[in-house]
Amino acid sequence: MGVLELIDLTVTHGATAVVENLDLAVDEGELFALLGPSGAGKTTLLKAVAGLHAPAAGEIRLDGSPLTDLPPEKRNVVMVFQKPLLFPFLNVAQNIAFGLRMQNLDSREQQRRIAEILELTQLEGLGRRRIDALSGGQQQRVSLARALVLQPALLLLDEPLSNLDANLRQQMRELIQDLQAATGITTLFVTHDQSEALMIAHRMGLLLEGRLRQVGPPRELFFEPVDRAVARFFGGRNFFSGYLEDGHLVTPAGRFRVPAGTANGRPLTATIRPEDIEVRASANGGLPGTIWRTSFEGSLTRLWVSCEDLELVALTPQRGCRRGQQVAVILPPEKLRIFPTDE
Amino acid sequence: MLKIPDSPQHIRTRPIRSTRQIAGLLGPAVVCVGLLFGGGVLLALLQGLGYLPGAGMADLSLVHFQRIFSDPDFMRSLGLTFYVAGVSTILAAAASVVLALGLNALAARSRWIHFIFQIPLTVPHLVIAVAVMFMLAPAGLFSRAAQTIGLIAGPQQFPLMVNDAYGIGIMATYIWKEVPFITLMVLAVLHNSGREFLEVGRTLKAGPWQRFRHITLPTILPGLAAASLIVFAYTFGAFEVPYLLGRTHPLLLPVRAYKKYSDVDLMARPEGIATGLIIALVVVLSALLAQAAARAARRRGGRP
Amino acid sequence: MKAPGRTYPRRLLAGGVLLSVALPFVPLVLWAFSSRWFYPQPWPQAWGLRAWEYIFNTAGSQIIPGLMQSVWVAGLSALLAVALGLPAGRALGLYHFRGKQALAVLLTLPVVVPPLCVAMGLHLWFIRLGLTETLAGVVLIHSIFCLPYAVFVLWGVFANYDPDFEDQARSLGAGPWRTWYCITLPMVLPGVVVAGLFAFLLSWSQYLSTLIIGGGRVVTLPILLFALMGSGDRPVAAAVSLVFVLPALLILLISARCLGLRTATGVP
Repeated sequence: MGVLELIDLTVTHGATAVVENLDLAVDEGELFALLGPSGAGKTTLLKAVAGLHAPAAGEIRLDGSPLTDLPPEKRNVVMVFQKPLLFPFLNVAQNIAFGLRMQNLDSREQQRRIAEILELTQLEGLGRRRIDALSGGQQQRVSLARALVLQPALLLLDEPLSNLDANLRQQMRELIQDLQAATGITTLFVTHDQSEALMIAHRMGLLLEGRLRQVGPPRELFFEPVDRAVARFFGGRNFFSGYLEDGHLVTPAGRFRVPAGTANGRPLTATIRPEDIEVRASANGGLPGTIWRTSFEGSLTRLWVSCEDLELVALTPQRGCRRGQQVAVILPPEKLRIFPTDE
Repeated sequence: MLKIPDSPQHIRTRPIRSTRQIAGLLGPAVVCVGLLFGGGVLLALLQGLGYLPGAGMADLSLVHFQRIFSDPDFMRSLGLTFYVAGVSTILAAAASVVLALGLNALAARSRWIHFIFQIPLTVPHLVIAVAVMFMLAPAGLFSRAAQTIGLIAGPQQFPLMVNDAYGIGIMATYIWKEVPFITLMVLAVLHNSGREFLEVGRTLKAGPWQRFRHITLPTILPGLAAASLIVFAYTFGAFEVPYLLGRTHPLLLPVRAYKKYSDVDLMARPEGIATGLIIALVVVLSALLAQAAARAARRRGGRP
Repeated sequence: MKAPGRTYPRRLLAGGVLLSVALPFVPLVLWAFSSRWFYPQPWPQAWGLRAWEYIFNTAGSQIIPGLMQSVWVAGLSALLAVALGLPAGRALGLYHFRGKQALAVLLTLPVVVPPLCVAMGLHLWFIRLGLTETLAGVVLIHSIFCLPYAVFVLWGVFANYDPDFEDQARSLGAGPWRTWYCITLPMVLPGVVVAGLFAFLLSWSQYLSTLIIGGGRVVTLPILLFALMGSGDRPVAAAVSLVFVLPALLILLISARCLGLRTATGVP
């Protein structure tokens, strides 16, 4: 129950295509995050799955049966919007009951489900409250409750945490995770906030320029990006090209042993995360370089290091690094990620 | 129109530098309006209550009001005025809802339609009354067209629609003028919050009729009520249109008030003024209700 | 997004709206440009400009003086409304102080209460003050509702106006008058113009209050129009109606240009 498949899906917003030929599968009970820059049209994609926007081409299937001709009212999918959009002329309980009323559910069953969901979303006792008397976080929770109470096969969340301040965001993040774990509803949520996606998702996908670049568990996207764009998105700053020579990658940063089977004959790019670079004071071992800029960022300091053939950015917990300082830079080979150079 | 303007978020109002400063800025306007309007109402009250020092009556009494309320003609006028104002408002409101929904669905982006729709707002009522007279009179344009196609044999057969017992011409004038006003108010509400709430409704499994009944209607109701009450208040107290298109008996209340006031019999004057006060009371009550409805509208459908 | 299947219903709706709005003007135009039109023909037997000649050329015609009188009354009312309303609107829009709500109520009442009631009340007092049958008296009675209306419009204008601009100008060396003239005025001018135009319209459309206070000496277009309707001269009445409605349409066009087709709030 709740297996979503997007098959060769193309969705347009006006004249531009926001996603093209997208293939994606979300498993039952999964919390899947679709990550992408703001304005990339993720909301439009979500609306297409919800039925509020017609896709230009392709198919959407839920549990094997196509959704394409079903209006949103008939799909077993509920979308929660970025703004809470609580009906101002109904109180909390009535808002939550809305979908149940539309389905003509027996009123005793309605009451039971509402009471249940109020408890689940930590809104006990607020049933009679008016909407304008709620705080932002409470409104968001009512919005979630209103969707969950319908027990849909698929839940769509559009940037659920964007409107909240930092404090609330933490609470809501935990709430969403707990709710999803408790109810086991397949959830697809879109966001532009990487940390959000990294923290909550079971699996995530990065959407850039209308294409899914990489799909997998958060750790994978973060530590094992498949290409430069993905790496850049997650904060990768150090890219250098190289070529293969019997089992070693030859780069301006040195010669590194690479695993067998690494693509041969194609130009390669290597990247290493700033925090993985070791910076040592003395110049024996490692690449010699000069710090030409520093930026104090709290627990870590960002260093711009100029080596002979290479510019590197490092993040180090060390203190006291200064401009002009001569250092030695060490790139642990196991922290290096190598992928084919794309355009 | 009756709403207190709010400054947008990024502009903060300043605290006053001194009462004198504010008094200086507000003073002239407040004094002018206060003196003229306040004075006018006060004097009307005094005269309505019988105070007429020039004629030797220096006591306040309710005799004029008593005489008014015991006059069956007055009650007939009152009833007719409520009827004309009420029915034209209800019809205008109903037409406006349909029109607003239609415009919202079909022409939400068309600037031309919106512009054309604003024309009736600025046209004086009197002009429309004249036009209605030309169209609906027994020998008017519609009658001539009807005769030409053979529906009637002469002006006597054309149904009476001006200077008639049901105030049809009057109501037609009001409806033409007020439908755009109410429609634009309802459209404003629909524009602000309509689309998003409807999408929420769809994803929460509401069908088209359910969305109309449970989302659209509650959302527009306060704004609709406010606009309708304003319209009622205006049509209740309007003079020109019934003066031109109404019957001589029973008169609509504002016409009756003026007729009494300008009567040769000086004793009828205070009755005219008292009638005017009653009109003012009904109008003010309507306006207050409209304010309350407008406040409810802002709380409800204004900002999603 | 315009759904393709919607063109016909949209055209129908647009046509319906256009037709309904234009309808009252049909008999007016027909009568105004007719020289002979008898029952039962649905259009004039003969067209002509007799009515317009009467209005503009005949020596005994009161129409032109009536038009001028209307322009004077409405113009002065508008000027008074804006002159007093501008500082009031500024005070209400820019500053916060207690009693704003009460003031709003005080200013709403004169707009809502029919001019009939107040004019009857003030009549005797105006007689005593010698203000009846004078231009000044009529302008004053009109200002009872024109002024509050202008205040409301200007309140809205100043509520959206950021006074920080003035601070910036002062900080750059402009004195108070210079600031007002070069910064404030240009920024609020569209709103001021609209306030003035709508105050003009309010006064322009007045009949009864002008009649009561003007006492037959101050004769404006609506008064003439009533007389014409009573006399049964339909072509001249229709022509005068068209002249009467012209400023309203012009003002709508101007304010649409000024505000970019934003909604006019409606004038009786």
